[in-house]
Amino acid sequence: MRKNKSSGGRRSVSLSLPYEWRMLLPLLIVMVAILAYPLLYSFWISFRNIEITKPHQNQFVGLVQYAKVWQDPAYWNVLKNTFGFVCMAVSMELVLGMILALCLKNMKRYRNVTRAILLTPMFITPIAVGLMFRYLLSTQLGLVPALLHLFGISIDFFSANMALFSLSMIDVWQWTPFMLLMLLAGLENLPEEPYEAARVDGAGSWYILTRITIPLMSPVMIVAVLIRALDAMKVFEYVYAITRGGPGTATETLQYYVYKTGFGYYNLSKASAVAWTVVIFVMIVLILILWRSTRGEQR
Amino acid sequence: MMKSGFARMTGVVSVAAVLLSGCTGAGGNEKQGASAGNAGQKVTLKAIMEQVPDSDIVKKMVADFNKENPNIDVNIEMLPYDQIRDKIVTSFLAPSATYDLIVVDNPWMNDFASAGYLEPLEERVKAAGADYNYQDFSAPLRGIGEVNGHTYGIPFYNYALGLIYRKDLFEKQGLKPPSTLAELRQDAKLLTTGDQAGLAMQPQRGYKIFEEWANWLYAAGGAIQDNAGKITLNSPQAREALTQYIQTYKESAPKDSLNWGFDEALRAVSGGKAAMMLSYNWMLPALNDKGGQAGDLAGKFGLAEVPGGKSVLGAWYWSIPANTKNKEQVWSFIKWITSPQHEKQRVIAGGAPVRNSAMDDSEVQQKGFGVEYYKTVKAILKNAAPLGNSLNAEEMVQTVGTELSQAVSGQKSVDQAIADADKEAKDIINAKK
Repeated sequence: MRKNKSSGGRRSVSLSLPYEWRMLLPLLIVMVAILAYPLLYSFWISFRNIEITKPHQNQFVGLVQYAKVWQDPAYWNVLKNTFGFVCMAVSMELVLGMILALCLKNMKRYRNVTRAILLTPMFITPIAVGLMFRYLLSTQLGLVPALLHLFGISIDFFSANMALFSLSMIDVWQWTPFMLLMLLAGLENLPEEPYEAARVDGAGSWYILTRITIPLMSPVMIVAVLIRALDAMKVFEYVYAITRGGPGTATETLQYYVYKTGFGYYNLSKASAVAWTVVIFVMIVLILILWRSTRGEQR
Repeated sequence: MMKSGFARMTGVVSVAAVLLSGCTGAGGNEKQGASAGNAGQKVTLKAIMEQVPDSDIVKKMVADFNKENPNIDVNIEMLPYDQIRDKIVTSFLAPSATYDLIVVDNPWMNDFASAGYLEPLEERVKAAGADYNYQDFSAPLRGIGEVNGHTYGIPFYNYALGLIYRKDLFEKQGLKPPSTLAELRQDAKLLTTGDQAGLAMQPQRGYKIFEEWANWLYAAGGAIQDNAGKITLNSPQAREALTQYIQTYKESAPKDSLNWGFDEALRAVSGGKAAMMLSYNWMLPALNDKGGQAGDLAGKFGLAEVPGGKSVLGAWYWSIPANTKNKEQVWSFIKWITSPQHEKQRVIAGGAPVRNSAMDDSEVQQKGFGVEYYKTVKAILKNAAPLGNSLNAEEMVQTVGTELSQAVSGQKSVDQAIADADKEAKDIINAKK
């Protein structure tokens, strides 16, 4: 490392690559093997007609799988469900996370303990959270309906109208802490000067929040929402553990649909095609948002 | 994570593809000489089974099998239903089988057999001779295991549906088990009082609702497929059956039970919260078991044929994967466990019967659950049909089950749901031919 470059490059076998590439190589090999290869492979089979139960069928069919997906009303329904889920969950998480972060920031004592306690839902594996809520909210066995019953309220959390909302609230329960963590870090890094100036000018706390804190926080909020939204899009465990997409198709989400098509119905090519439509969509959204936010910073 | 989802999927896929190209054509033609040469050595067979009481009974019988066959060890791995199919399919695609002995659920049979993943068994059945008496298996059960003229599965246990009802409540009202849909609906309504529901239904989307509703369909005189295999769901009978089903759900099912499946219905009935349910016939002995789930209610349950007399048939099968090396040893075990003699032993221990001789046997009746029970089960099995027995039955069942669920939860009208179910089922079946 020390003299490699300055001494004019002592060449030895297989070290013809620049130093930084040599250091990256092991990681690159692993990434290609476990990430790029399967990804490209799934892209490749999305243009073929591979089905597990038809071992002799493996032809190139062009865009047939994509056309099938496009014409499948079930696909549009799962898209709708997934976006509904993401919007409900992430907006709720953002509001709650912001409120909690502001409270925590102003807290004088026991702040770290409180923060640690608030973070615990994040550390439970989602499938366990799914099962937990399946029983907590069950009309037959659940604690929550039993308590509500005491007040004469009767809600079926997994009815056709409520199920998707209930699932998104489970997501809120588990992932608001993540939002809190991101926003709190953002809040703690805000400069003090604008606040002092505002206070000197006699601004009220609501004014400070809407005119200073939120505008200053917007880059952090965008990133936090983005991460959460992409994460929420892959919701699978709650659906699998609780509703299996029902009642009807009310809670069928993208990942569950991919799973069902690929493993349930053995149709690997169609499942790959569905998955790739998601990749393409996510890429477009990401590029747009990142492009906008970098442009905003340059101004 | 989304990427890791892909990785997971494509992982299986890449395994699949390597194999698909590798074993094309080699499917069912293992050389038998190889396994015969091993006959003297000790062989361990890896078996996969569902975590159910019937598997426990088989597991206990392995010791007896080993007394007669000291050279064959059977190592049974038990898994929940959700996991076994994925494991079995992965084992089919592997260069050498992970599992030598598998159990196959009836909707998978045609797909697995047509893909060449299962070993045809008819020659071995023939060689087993008159003592083995293959014709003794209840005819509808044999039908499922036979695909395109070959036998791929030997019946293991049945899960045909029957009507389980509370005898005491029926007597109190002076009722007899309902024999038509109208009677069922009427009785259910009559027995709905306070926090007791007349009928614990299972409208959970997918297999469950279809499995339950198809009994309504049969009772209304409809059918899922005609003799030529053509889907015949778009019929007045189907619309009538679904209308009745929804009415009964609204009038007499427990409140908020749209997502209920087997567990929830059983819990309601065993806890005295429902007077009837359509469920697997072998739930009766479990419910009547003193010290079992039903507590003080044990002994108060009765079993009848479903209204209309034709019920939905489900069954598990023993099969040999085409890619195992130990076919002869696996067959020795299958032949042993399904022989008339050991079927008797299995049924006495509480297993669900598949052979008529076992259900007629006085020793079985005496040591088992009584004459009445086996007579009813035999009658149920005699007139029963599976939900789907064609290629891609699993997808057809799930799709129809989703449409039905949409109708019950009010997302679609009855006419719409039936028309859509018919169209989608046709597309699924035809696309695969």
